[in-house]
Amino acid sequence: MNLPLYEQLALALTAGVLRGAVYALVALGIVLVFRGSGIFNFAQAEFGTTGLFAAYWALEIKGWGYPTSFLFGMGVAIALGLLTERLVIHPLRDSSRVTLLVGTAGVALAAIGFQFWWFNETLVMSMPKINEAFFMTPWGAVVTVQELITLGVLAVVAVGLALFFRSPSGLAIQAAQQEPVASELVGISVRRVSMLTWGIAAALGGLAGILAGPYLTFSAGFLSFGAVGALLPGFMAAVLAGMRSMPGAVAGGLLVGCIEQLSSLSILDGAVPGAGALVLFVFLLGVLLVRPQGIFVGKVATA
Amino acid sequence: MAVLEISDLVVGYGSFPVLHGIDFVVEEGEVCVLLGLNGAGKTTTVATIAGLLKPSSGQVLFEGKSLGRKSPSARVKAGISLSPEGRRVFPRMTVGQNLRLGAWSQRRQPRVVKRQTELVLDYFPRLAEREHQLAGTLSGGEQQMLAVGRAVMSSPRLLIIDEASLGLSPTLAKVVWEATARIAADGTTVLMVEQNAGALPFADRALIMEKGTLIHTAVGDDVKNVNLREAYLGV
Repeated sequence: MNLPLYEQLALALTAGVLRGAVYALVALGIVLVFRGSGIFNFAQAEFGTTGLFAAYWALEIKGWGYPTSFLFGMGVAIALGLLTERLVIHPLRDSSRVTLLVGTAGVALAAIGFQFWWFNETLVMSMPKINEAFFMTPWGAVVTVQELITLGVLAVVAVGLALFFRSPSGLAIQAAQQEPVASELVGISVRRVSMLTWGIAAALGGLAGILAGPYLTFSAGFLSFGAVGALLPGFMAAVLAGMRSMPGAVAGGLLVGCIEQLSSLSILDGAVPGAGALVLFVFLLGVLLVRPQGIFVGKVATA
Repeated sequence: MAVLEISDLVVGYGSFPVLHGIDFVVEEGEVCVLLGLNGAGKTTTVATIAGLLKPSSGQVLFEGKSLGRKSPSARVKAGISLSPEGRRVFPRMTVGQNLRLGAWSQRRQPRVVKRQTELVLDYFPRLAEREHQLAGTLSGGEQQMLAVGRAVMSSPRLLIIDEASLGLSPTLAKVVWEATARIAADGTTVLMVEQNAGALPFADRALIMEKGTLIHTAVGDDVKNVNLREAYLGV
């Protein structure tokens, strides 16, 4: 690149924040399930891709109109989350964490298989944007309205979740994870709370998938390791948030997005292909070595 | 009137029987102490009453009605509240949040929640000082107060306390028992599980368990005359 450094930086940070918004949505879902069930959910991103497939099917094959298709995609994502809770998490609730982890990985793989089957192994699909407009920032970055919508949705969702966790239902989710027996004894149905957790997490995945779908073309496994591979970056963001903090997950997602973009513009990228991902993992390792509890975790871990 | 009526209750873990058909009643407004050594089946008894365990046979009547196979949360709504063995407070929540969750079954009646909170903080003034502290950072005695207080938050008509004195100094155990006596005096029937005979002076009824059976019952003035040596050791 021949641009001056400050312009390259501005471009990278813009792209980083916009991509980071998707990571943050995925990270919020991962943190929510971890706080609610103590499980790392490998299927989080595939709730999103499956929702995206459903929205695409409704919009492009059935011609249902954007709002209906969007809601249909969200509905399918949430249904997948609830089914996962009923068919995998609930029956395995007394198993070890490793078993549950493998269980969620199984859900992710099954979802990817389902996506392939549904569209008869079509390799590349393209989801239209909510609004096709885009503009150029003064520093030369091209920003689509779709990306801004994602960022706005992230802001609304983050504030909403923060408020939710202070509400009685939000407290009940945390109570059920901290002391399931005591939760039953005060009258909280742990089963219902678990359904609620997975439903909301799947909705977050659905938002990530359906909003990021139009960024690029997509195919099965899109949000896990496809064009917008948000699972690992989202996981990193969740780790940076100590797997607990909601604001931390948002900050972590944006930070991971920026680091990824910044590292790919350095001289490194010319010499080492895939430097972006490499720098990201080195950064995560460094954080885990220095501050294993995460970097966006304040004094009150329940905030 | 009997608030609680247990008849021929048999409970086991898998095929291993723990309770071999026990019968007892708890009358309205009294403090009943269920006394016994480790492994006597006391916790199994109260966990069954609270709905955490399912009996293989026998009956639990609450205010004359069979509890059948009702879930723990349904029993809380019906008016039974258990402060469990080992306290089980929500460690990463504040004392205030723990109490509010105790009133989960009445969360849509803010006036009731407020009334119960004031009541609990009056029974246990220590909790008022610690309202914004995380429960996991409380001392053992304070956690026990919180566990009992949380159980009182659902306005139960039958309050069950499993081993309030476990791990507490004699002085602190007495503080908790005295608060329990006040709760009973205010109209809540109390069933206490204890290994510690120090609870007997607070009891209107004493039941002594051994190896899954009830071996001795004392009511009223007889409670003071319970010969523990005889009751416990059969000599």
